[in-house]
Amino acid sequence: MILFFLISGLFLGWSLGANDASNIFGSAVGSRMITFRRAAIIASIAVILGAVIQGAGTSATLGKLGSVNAIGGSFTLSLAAAITVYGMTKFSLPVSTTQAIVGAIIGWNIFNGNTTDSGTLSKIVITWISGPVLGALFAVLLYILITKFKKSAKIHLITFESYLKSGLIIVGAFGAYSLGANNIANVMGVFLPAFNLQELNLGLFSLSSNQQLFLLGGIAISVGIITYSKRVMDTIGGNIVELTSEAALVVVLAQSLVLFIFSSTALANLMIRIGLPPIPLVPVSSSQVIVGCVIGIGLYRGARNINFRLLGEIGVGWIATPLVSGVITFFSLFFMKNIFNIEVGHKIIEGVPESSVMTGVSGPEMSEIMKYILLGILIAGSVIGLYYYLLERKKTRELKISEEKFWKNLK
Amino acid sequence: MAVFKRTTKELIISISEFFDSIEIGLLVFREGIKSYIEKDMESFMRHLEKVDTLENNADRLQRSIENEMITNSILPQHRSDVTKLLNEIDEIIDTVKKSLNEFIVEIPEIPSSLNKEILSLVNTSASAAEELIPAARAYFITPHTVREKLLKVYYFETETDKISFNMRKRIFQEMNEIDLAHKAHLRYIIHHIENISDLAQKAADLLSRMAIKIIT
Repeated sequence: MILFFLISGLFLGWSLGANDASNIFGSAVGSRMITFRRAAIIASIAVILGAVIQGAGTSATLGKLGSVNAIGGSFTLSLAAAITVYGMTKFSLPVSTTQAIVGAIIGWNIFNGNTTDSGTLSKIVITWISGPVLGALFAVLLYILITKFKKSAKIHLITFESYLKSGLIIVGAFGAYSLGANNIANVMGVFLPAFNLQELNLGLFSLSSNQQLFLLGGIAISVGIITYSKRVMDTIGGNIVELTSEAALVVVLAQSLVLFIFSSTALANLMIRIGLPPIPLVPVSSSQVIVGCVIGIGLYRGARNINFRLLGEIGVGWIATPLVSGVITFFSLFFMKNIFNIEVGHKIIEGVPESSVMTGVSGPEMSEIMKYILLGILIAGSVIGLYYYLLERKKTRELKISEEKFWKNLK
Repeated sequence: MAVFKRTTKELIISISEFFDSIEIGLLVFREGIKSYIEKDMESFMRHLEKVDTLENNADRLQRSIENEMITNSILPQHRSDVTKLLNEIDEIIDTVKKSLNEFIVEIPEIPSSLNKEILSLVNTSASAAEELIPAARAYFITPHTVREKLLKVYYFETETDKISFNMRKRIFQEMNEIDLAHKAHLRYIIHHIENISDLAQKAADLLSRMAIKIIT
């Protein structure tokens, strides 16, 4: 039953992985610089690491917006966001998981009579705008650096491309890590207040209750990457302007930096320590940041064929997505509570601790399930890894034999 | 990653060797025609053999470069352009070999009054092709310098056209001592030598487009 309630979050994670992995490895895979298989493996591992290690910051911000205090509420809210994302994607409307989940939380707040923290909301909304702008700035700066380096270093084109290839793998891993860290809040953030699991000790390290949920969410994102992102990866790249290999690297790096900045607790603390205003830890839409990056480079290069309509569509998405998601959440909560008789949350009372009103999940049985899930993943990962290694080895050997035959016959 | 680096190095060396083969082939072509004009057939045969070896080597390298690029997914965005360029350049050494073979098969009789002009035609035509190679090498390292290097190719191609035009005009209008069949044969030989610079120009056009594409 507990896992059933998590399904909506996991589905949201799956769709996030399917769509957003293309922002990281899309250009590299689309231009055949990296094989999809390699990209998917790297992205899957990095996304899980990012979610588990650095996912807490952005989740806390979403928690401030609305602390969903019943698992039925978390389920409904997440499902409504997922339906919004799916529906809007189906009708080719611009959509972001981040904006959908924010709209859903506001819908939950309205349903339960809670006031939405306007300070947190404005902080989130500002990052929707500043994210793409910052992405564009980073992209232009990095692009200038890389083109200057290429011109002055006089490296052979093939060597440069090999550096780019390695760079795309490293930056892609960093991008996936940042995506996991920043966007896990969208997937699992709403479930955190309703879950209180036992700490899971794995010998070398232990996972807190939140980290266990992040791990599940990260796995869902990984499954999305492996099962469905190839289609999106094959088509991305030429949507806004055509990207060269170095521009692709710059775009991914700039986007990863933006996602990392908006999710790093350490960086936010450092800013406070040196007397600067703290960076808000907010989930941002990776797709919108990447559009900002690509447009930044396009403007710098003086391209006239930039699809400015996309900018307008993003603006529409900022308003339409939370609105649609909020409305769907409100009505879904109504049906859940009154027809299915499922507890979807309480009004948060000032001064009363959250734990006293929470109808959530706790206990050691869930941690046991988590242990088995982890073991299963480890075994499945090892088997798949070995299978692909053997497949790759067979392919290389066959290619070598065919090459040798070719030259022998030619002689 | 280590395997990839080794492939990269090998590929760079192969491309460089390919260009070396073409450059040496053009030098040998000049020397070969010079030997023919000087009626030193032994030296001519030696040069012909050398060109044959170089042409085979260029063919082998071209195939190996294409294979390596495809199997290791190297230069995915520029691969088809690079392959086309190598093909165009390879055609130059193919034509060089064909021209020398025509000399040995057809044994054209070159009037001594045309010796100087024939050598000049060979030098200018070969120079056009020779100037293409540094530009092609520059494409991989300093693509912004490619177009200025190609200016020499266009210059030598125009010069070759002028020399060829004047030679043909002289053969058909002034040299009444040789018959029409001989004149036609000479025109055919001139056309083949001239063809080298035409191929260099064709490759230069492609290289120029490739350079623009890579800079912008």
